[in-house]
Amino acid sequence: MEFFERFAIPNPSFAIYASMVAAGITMIAIVAGLTYFKKWGYLWREWLTTVDHKRIGIMYLISALLMLFRGGVDAIMMRAQLAVPDNTLLDAQHYNEIFTTHGVVMILFMAMPFIMFFMNLVVPLQIGARDVAFPRLNALSFWLFFMGAMLFNISFMVGGSPDAGWTSYFPLADNEFSKSVGTNYYMIAIQIAGIGTLMTGINFITTILKMRAPGMKLMQMPMFTWSSLIANVIIVFAFPVLTVALAMGTMDRLFGTNFFTIDNGGMSMLWANIFWVWGHPEVYILILPAFGIYSEIFSTFSRRNLYGYKSMVWSMVLISLLSFLVWAHHFFTMGQGAFTNSIFSITTMAIAVPTGVKIFNWLLTLWKGKIEFTTPMLYAIMFIPLFTLGGVTGVMLAMSAADYQYHNTMFLVAHFHNVIIPGVVYAMLAGLTYYWPKMFGFMLNEKIGKWTVWTLSIGFVLAFMPMYITGLDGQARRLYTYSESTGFGPLNMVSFVGAAIMAVGFVLIVYNIYYSVRYASRDISADPWDARTLEWATHTPIPEYNFAITPEVKSSEAFWDSKKNGHVLFKGNYEKIHMPNNSGMPFVMSIIFFIWGFSLIFSLWIPAIVATLGIFACLTLRSFEKDHGHYISVKEIEDTESELRGA
Amino acid sequence: MSELFPFKQVMGFVFSMVLTAVALGVYFFDMSFAVGMTVLLVTAFLQAGLQLVVFMHAGETEDKGAIYTNVYYGLIIALVTVFGTLLAMVWDMG
Amino acid sequence: MDINHSLPLEYSTEENRLKIFGFWIFLGAEIMLFATLFAAYFTLYNRTAGGPDGAEIFQITPVFLETILLLTSSFTIGLGIHAMRLGRVKAMMGFFIVTLLLGLGFLSVEVFEFITYVHEGAGIQTSAFTSSLLATLGTHGAHVTLGFFWGLFILIQVKKRGLTPATANKSFIFSLYWHFLDVVWIFIFSFIYLKGMM
Repeated sequence: MEFFERFAIPNPSFAIYASMVAAGITMIAIVAGLTYFKKWGYLWREWLTTVDHKRIGIMYLISALLMLFRGGVDAIMMRAQLAVPDNTLLDAQHYNEIFTTHGVVMILFMAMPFIMFFMNLVVPLQIGARDVAFPRLNALSFWLFFMGAMLFNISFMVGGSPDAGWTSYFPLADNEFSKSVGTNYYMIAIQIAGIGTLMTGINFITTILKMRAPGMKLMQMPMFTWSSLIANVIIVFAFPVLTVALAMGTMDRLFGTNFFTIDNGGMSMLWANIFWVWGHPEVYILILPAFGIYSEIFSTFSRRNLYGYKSMVWSMVLISLLSFLVWAHHFFTMGQGAFTNSIFSITTMAIAVPTGVKIFNWLLTLWKGKIEFTTPMLYAIMFIPLFTLGGVTGVMLAMSAADYQYHNTMFLVAHFHNVIIPGVVYAMLAGLTYYWPKMFGFMLNEKIGKWTVWTLSIGFVLAFMPMYITGLDGQARRLYTYSESTGFGPLNMVSFVGAAIMAVGFVLIVYNIYYSVRYASRDISADPWDARTLEWATHTPIPEYNFAITPEVKSSEAFWDSKKNGHVLFKGNYEKIHMPNNSGMPFVMSIIFFIWGFSLIFSLWIPAIVATLGIFACLTLRSFEKDHGHYISVKEIEDTESELRGA
Repeated sequence: MSELFPFKQVMGFVFSMVLTAVALGVYFFDMSFAVGMTVLLVTAFLQAGLQLVVFMHAGETEDKGAIYTNVYYGLIIALVTVFGTLLAMVWDMG
Repeated sequence: MDINHSLPLEYSTEENRLKIFGFWIFLGAEIMLFATLFAAYFTLYNRTAGGPDGAEIFQITPVFLETILLLTSSFTIGLGIHAMRLGRVKAMMGFFIVTLLLGLGFLSVEVFEFITYVHEGAGIQTSAFTSSLLATLGTHGAHVTLGFFWGLFILIQVKKRGLTPATANKSFIFSLYWHFLDVVWIFIFSFIYLKGMM
């Protein structure tokens, strides 16, 4: 029995047992459903082994939405706990676990896959490519991310949740202060997902730089493709840093090394330093593709080209460099001197300049545009004032001397939610609404969509504006309760009401999907928004090969040119198309990674060694494998094309 | 046989041996920290550049621009990370 | 598969060109991986917690041997690629074998070096200095070990399948990897060993 004790949860509660039951029932329901409807073969052939960027994109989307609700439930529990003084809904330990998983899930397992979803779905189409450069690697990226996310998510049911914050600062995160395996989950699950992300970065840089349609110069790429390129450059240079940090943290916890320990010369502050060398660029990995999506939406629904294309590009290039020069602003109060803090203050404030350029470009795109208030556009319009507010408080935080007042208060929490929610989450929801018809052949309901935007925005303002005030008054973040005499009570209650309204907004999204699946018209064109870029130039549903004939491009709005200015996109005849083969290897290898991670988390050395050998066996098999893909014949292309045109 | 040993690569190898010998000088001769570090920095970066250009053929294709941008970008950020870390964690830590 | 015969075999297909380019991007990521290890090492190198410091445990002889072995192997893999471009499969395989043997020699010396460190009381748990030292050296050593097996598999494929666009492409990418490990070693040699013994 002693062996099994390690898998028990250290701090059980009724809610956790209820979740276990719910998770168990869900698993059984999925397995039973797949068996009853005889869908196992379909699942394996069409999804688990797919290397098609569009399907991989959709799997990212499903994961992101699931994680959005997991993280959202965490958020609601936190706000409920803080709604009144001296609340006992959650105890300190559970509160710690919940804010930790909320942060990790939302950043790494919700926002990241949401971005990956858009990049996978849109980038190859926007540049007129058949797929990404390395389709199988792309599948491996997804499955590694997915297994990392699943591994992290079982933590609260098996062995205990991480509870040292999403930043997992040492010495709190070392064995002495975090005794359960929770922090092992943090170190290893994120490691596995992070390797997948790094591969995505390499894959998309290669795709964008080497596989553009004939004629598309760099300065003619659509803005979302540009933003993806820059985000992937940041991924490639930032994620190895996380890899090293997590590996060192793992070694400290499992093998007794002394990187971040208190004794034997270890330096806990070094963790904070390395973590933020990755962590700050990470927020730009999230926000830049979001900016790209807004750029597409502003331009489409203002019915004009994007204002200041070149300055948009250069401001992103500048942001990508500056993002690596600011990390110390996350720990202004850690003890380094005024000289260092001044440098990092200045670089931080400097980032506001290229960001401001972008804001003005969007405003000037609206200027003299024929604005059409669709749901995506409404999100984008809401984004500008709300995000700017978050940006301005960011500049306040950037002043290192003043930061001694703001540091680790709810002011900071308000700031980063204020940039991430209107900046990233709104962009994801706007983009989801925008690209929904391209994926599924029907539109989401506009009326419910607009209600959702307003609900979310009102909820957002109510939830986060009060935190600025309580933060300045001294309410510390990550404290599970406060006494009545602090006077924080009423404003925290407002926050809770706001969070509840936001929850209603997210429920409305689910309802909208349900409603639209049932009632929306299927009789829509392949270009329902009258858009401007190449992803709308192909059929809906998008054929496996994307474009029967590779498009030729002369501007950043090739599709618009073909609609309005007589530009001919598709010249020549059908030719046979080379496509990659499906493969079960990425899925199998990721499962082995899951086992490897799980074994390390619980220090089960023999399975860990076996799994390591399994991973190397997969790599060896891959090395010796001969797989040169297959061809789609001209006949098949003709059949598909005439069927899609007829439909 | 001689076509298997191109002049450029043989010279590259000889040069890298010379650079190694020079770097070893900091061990065998007594010199100040500043001089020693200068010698090491110069020899190390020359060696790295040598590998990149002579052996790795970094500039042989149309992707030359992207490849060099990638390497320089990595190098700049690497240096910023190393020296920024030292600044914040050691040199300016009270 | 369209093969462009005007280009060297390793660049001759679209897939090959993508792979070589992608690998360069990967090397960019590797630069940051090792930079982070160096940043940690430089931050921690005088935190010896009463244990040995660099000057006490570093020895010039194994370090010198390792450097010569690895630099020479970088030269021979370059010759291997040159031979490949001349279409001389036998010579290419010969150079690859020499390269892998030199790599093996490097690893043997490194293992000997690690054992010595542990005997001198400089194990991975001793101090922040030894942890970061062994992590940095170990990461490089693990790369070389992985490279050894990877190179071996490619050698077997060249032997069995001859020089095809696929095998030539793999060989070339492997040479990039091997040269890169040499570059990393130069920095380890200069800024860990020589600086430590200065």
